[in-house]
Amino acid sequence: MTDLLYITTLARKDFLQELRSKAATVATIFFASTVLLILAFALGPSQAALTNAAPGVLWVALAFAGIISAAQSYQNELEEGAFEQLLMYPIPRATIFLGKLLANWLYMTVLGALLLPTTALFFKMDLSNWPWLVLTILFGTLGFALIATFYAALTSNLRARESLLPVLMFPVVVPIMLAAVRATGELTRSGNLGWAFDWLQLLIGFDLVYLVVCTALFHFVTES
Amino acid sequence: MQPSMTHSVPRQPGWLRAFGLMTLVLFAVGTVLALIVSPPDVNQGDLIRIMYAHVSVVWVGFLAVLMAAVFGMLYLWRSKPVDDVWAVASAEMALVYFALAVFGGMTYSKPTLGVFWDWDARLTLTALAFALLVGYFVVRGLIDDPQQRARVSAVVSIIILASLPFNWMASEWFRSIHPSKSFDVTGGGINDTMAPIFRWILLFNVLVAALIFVYFLLERVRIGRAELKLETEDAAPAAGEVIRV
Repeated sequence: MTDLLYITTLARKDFLQELRSKAATVATIFFASTVLLILAFALGPSQAALTNAAPGVLWVALAFAGIISAAQSYQNELEEGAFEQLLMYPIPRATIFLGKLLANWLYMTVLGALLLPTTALFFKMDLSNWPWLVLTILFGTLGFALIATFYAALTSNLRARESLLPVLMFPVVVPIMLAAVRATGELTRSGNLGWAFDWLQLLIGFDLVYLVVCTALFHFVTES
Repeated sequence: MQPSMTHSVPRQPGWLRAFGLMTLVLFAVGTVLALIVSPPDVNQGDLIRIMYAHVSVVWVGFLAVLMAAVFGMLYLWRSKPVDDVWAVASAEMALVYFALAVFGGMTYSKPTLGVFWDWDARLTLTALAFALLVGYFVVRGLIDDPQQRARVSAVVSIIILASLPFNWMASEWFRSIHPSKSFDVTGGGINDTMAPIFRWILLFNVLVAALIFVYFLLERVRIGRAELKLETEDAAPAAGEVIRV
């Protein structure tokens, strides 16, 4: 399975690069903290308001982080002219997409793992269903990373790309955001696992469909 | 180099003009049907008349989005510039129709529900589709190279089409406490509980909206084809022309 090797190598390259440069890490942690603080100030100190807002806060912070990291993942290569070289390797274009997707997804899940306990602490979330919460974060960030990675490639050589990426992404990721927030809410408030599973099914369905669609279309996006 | 001749827009062919006039007449008929012939509704009174303009525009709008994606796929498959002309023409009509749909929906919502916006599933889906189409045209405006522009637009239109079912599901389930196992795609009672007279007038107006769409689509494609011809003519001077330095 050499394709798998290409994908993991590319993902490792992106991940290591990010670990060393910390360009996106600093920005995303700063953004996420700002979001948490401002919303805590706006909604607190009432316990009920904080707990009700907690799922939304978590996913807003994750969404900001996802957009920043996805945009950054192409920036470094484009600036050095390395992206054209990457495209010239005799590997399927789809593996480039999946490699970047894997790196972005990993990055977002790590951030999710950091944000979940922090948000739980400040916004009084009940974490007793934490295995299902982890699953929700995994599938939710996968869907978001899918769209973000794909559209970041599309906008990477356009003018005004930083402002264009959220404009293009927002209507497409609405279902993912809704399902993720609702699932998180069900798991941390009412504890109704059945309804949380329904939202998770929407997440998984979204992920599967877009995995296929974006991988198939990536080739056309990178032609010059 | 010889300056290029001024080109005028070629005349509209007779059959297209006749088709346009017929559509205009049918539109007048549809308006009369909706405003005068249709009886007022038991519950909504005269407000039901907004429904004819709103629902017809929404259905044809979704058809236009489908066609934009289909022509996009066609372009990706065989890379003919005329496919991109058809795609952008459909997308332009979709944009206009969805703008009308959102406006109509809000107009319908205020007197019937008391507010301009209440996160009704179908209206939310329409607004999201409108946002997607705005993004389509923003991207088009930022790319100068025609082939790249056509290719990227085609990709965006396919993603738009893929996102519609999910946006529909999300909009439906957003309002309910929990997602339902099956979802109703008939539009919630429009086909089931309507009296026949309403249904017939609605279908007539949907047909009129579709004909208006087809007319403007054909006219836009005609102009787009003329533009394509212009680009290829300007790029290659006519045979025998001497270029003076």
